[in-house]
Amino acid sequence: MSVAPGGEHPIHVAIRDLSVHYPLGRPLFGKPPMVRAVDGVSLDIPRAAFFGLVGESGSGKTTLGRAILRAAPVTAGHVTYRDAEVEYDVASLGKVALRDFRRRAQLIFQDPYAALSPRMTVRDIIAEPLEVMKLTASREETDARVRKMAARCRLNLEHLRRFPHAFSGGQRQRISIARALVARPRFVVADESVAALDVSIQADILNLLKSLRDELRLTILFISHDLSVVAHVCDMVAVMYLGAIVEAAPAHMLFAQPRHPYTSALFSAIPSLDPDRRGQAQRLIGEIPSAANVPPGCRFNTRCPFAQDRCRVEVPAWREVAPGHHAACHFSDELQPLLYARAPGAAPG
Amino acid sequence: MAAPLLSVRDLTVRFRTDEGMITAVDGISFDIAAGEVLGLVGESGSGKSVTAKALMRLNPGNTDYAAESRIVLHTEGSDVDVLALKRARDLMVVRGGAVSMIFQEPMASFAPAITIGDQMVEQLLLHTGLTKRQARAHAVEMLGRVGIPDPNRRIDQYAFEFSGRMRQRAMIAMALSTGPKLLIADEPTTALDVTIQAQVLDLMLGLVAEMGMAILFITHDLGVIAQTADRVAVMYLGRIAETGAVRQVIRHAAHPYTRGLLNALPNIDDPAAPLVPVPGDIPSPLERPAGCVFHTRCAQAIAGLCDVQVPAPVAIAPGHAAACFALAPAPAPVERPA
Repeated sequence: MSVAPGGEHPIHVAIRDLSVHYPLGRPLFGKPPMVRAVDGVSLDIPRAAFFGLVGESGSGKTTLGRAILRAAPVTAGHVTYRDAEVEYDVASLGKVALRDFRRRAQLIFQDPYAALSPRMTVRDIIAEPLEVMKLTASREETDARVRKMAARCRLNLEHLRRFPHAFSGGQRQRISIARALVARPRFVVADESVAALDVSIQADILNLLKSLRDELRLTILFISHDLSVVAHVCDMVAVMYLGAIVEAAPAHMLFAQPRHPYTSALFSAIPSLDPDRRGQAQRLIGEIPSAANVPPGCRFNTRCPFAQDRCRVEVPAWREVAPGHHAACHFSDELQPLLYARAPGAAPG
Repeated sequence: MAAPLLSVRDLTVRFRTDEGMITAVDGISFDIAAGEVLGLVGESGSGKSVTAKALMRLNPGNTDYAAESRIVLHTEGSDVDVLALKRARDLMVVRGGAVSMIFQEPMASFAPAITIGDQMVEQLLLHTGLTKRQARAHAVEMLGRVGIPDPNRRIDQYAFEFSGRMRQRAMIAMALSTGPKLLIADEPTTALDVTIQAQVLDLMLGLVAEMGMAILFITHDLGVIAQTADRVAVMYLGRIAETGAVRQVIRHAAHPYTRGLLNALPNIDDPAAPLVPVPGDIPSPLERPAGCVFHTRCAQAIAGLCDVQVPAPVAIAPGHAAACFALAPAPAPVERPA
């Protein structure tokens, strides 16, 4: 159900009230308990953004990324994908439209060791999406596009004949990226794409993703648990906790002045490189509750050092606390001076 | 400085494999003083875990320690030559007696079919003179001290009944219960979320300070080192590139590898700074570079020198040394990395 759009909409992917619920086991009687992995998320991802999605393990960030790509079953809500040519309601795509959507939206995996078939040459790995989706007319055309994308991802042409076992983690991740981008997608979900790499290599992959975003005008949803990495590469950031987005803002605003206690706690938990800043952190108590048993009211209330009675009853509204800066906290304004900022005065971009 | 608790001299560890000998640790020397936190930082393949396991003699059967390698544990009254220990009974002193270890993956460190309590009691019976009843009481006390609620009930549970955070806490309780002099922590928080990591680090450092033990803290995360260690040794491909007080090494890094690592590291306190990758890839252990092991990725490498000769540690400041020819054209080797 594609519609002819008029020009490029500034929002590439719009998510509205999106939920992914899984039943937990199959009890003999009654309804199974539901795991609310993603629970009523609304989010706008602007075109050509390097959009960070952060949260602890169990926050639902991977499930959200997959639901946007229709790689996880959507229980309720909508994902609208718009580019210059098409507009799709991702959750209700037919077979033909889904195939077209798969070309436009791709996923880069976390583990570059598991994501590449050991029996295929690098050339065949990168060419596979083109062949499966029948995007090229001849083998020559396929080869030309594979070589072009490999060069963009800084792989040597001689690498194309080899098998993936001959490569280091950083090179494998470059192969993985070339494979994801060879069909020229407009939107890419990068799920923990540098988490498995050593720091001396990680910076190289981050810089590559940034330059590819600029050259190919990609929109990247960058899922990560590492806030330092996100602070360096992303221009927009959304913070997820237990299936819901608790705060979203341009990166420089979020790091300079968080408006949700969870964001603040995450920031303060990151070990500083400065040995003179020891022991200055706010500590969160306990751990993330199970998504099958989401606390009533504000879902963060069981761990929030500022929680009041109201937080245990009433779900906080998602509101704009500053221009372009949204948060879901009853006391966002009152708490502002108490929240822990990282990198105050950091330059935008 | 008083006699160190542990001295490692010229430790070289090789593994016999089908493809030939692989050098994992290449002639490293360091000391740990009583009550000191020494950070051992390095990327994968740097040999930091092999070094830690050598201290407890936990490396596998195909391990070969060089003849000149010495690991000496100075305990009250006697010095233990760790690499000369043969019988399992003699090895107990470095395996839970005076030296204890916390591993990265707590699920793999507990036997799945024995209760946490039985495992804790067993090692207390092995290493201390406590009776079974006293050992159980001590185990309950330790579980309580690491913040496990209701330790009297939890002690009879199995590892799978604990959450990841609780398991990591139980492992700390178990490692500290025998009152070791040295705790080896091998990436103890790497598998944890940052908020949980902060809790576990606080707990570990608090208990260690209280009990006055030394820690060898192994991690790839320089931020964790900056927040926890007194001194740091930076390893690359089996050698110590740089060693010194944490503040000194982070503020005045001298070795090109340490500097490269600091420039490549995303710093949340300065997100506008560009990320500069260390060029090239970590060489395969089968293709160990000759000379300085870092020369293949070093912008300052001097042809004919760095690819031929092994640089000796050069003193930068008291207690701070780096092994690099660029630091001293005519290197004056220091006696020992302090």
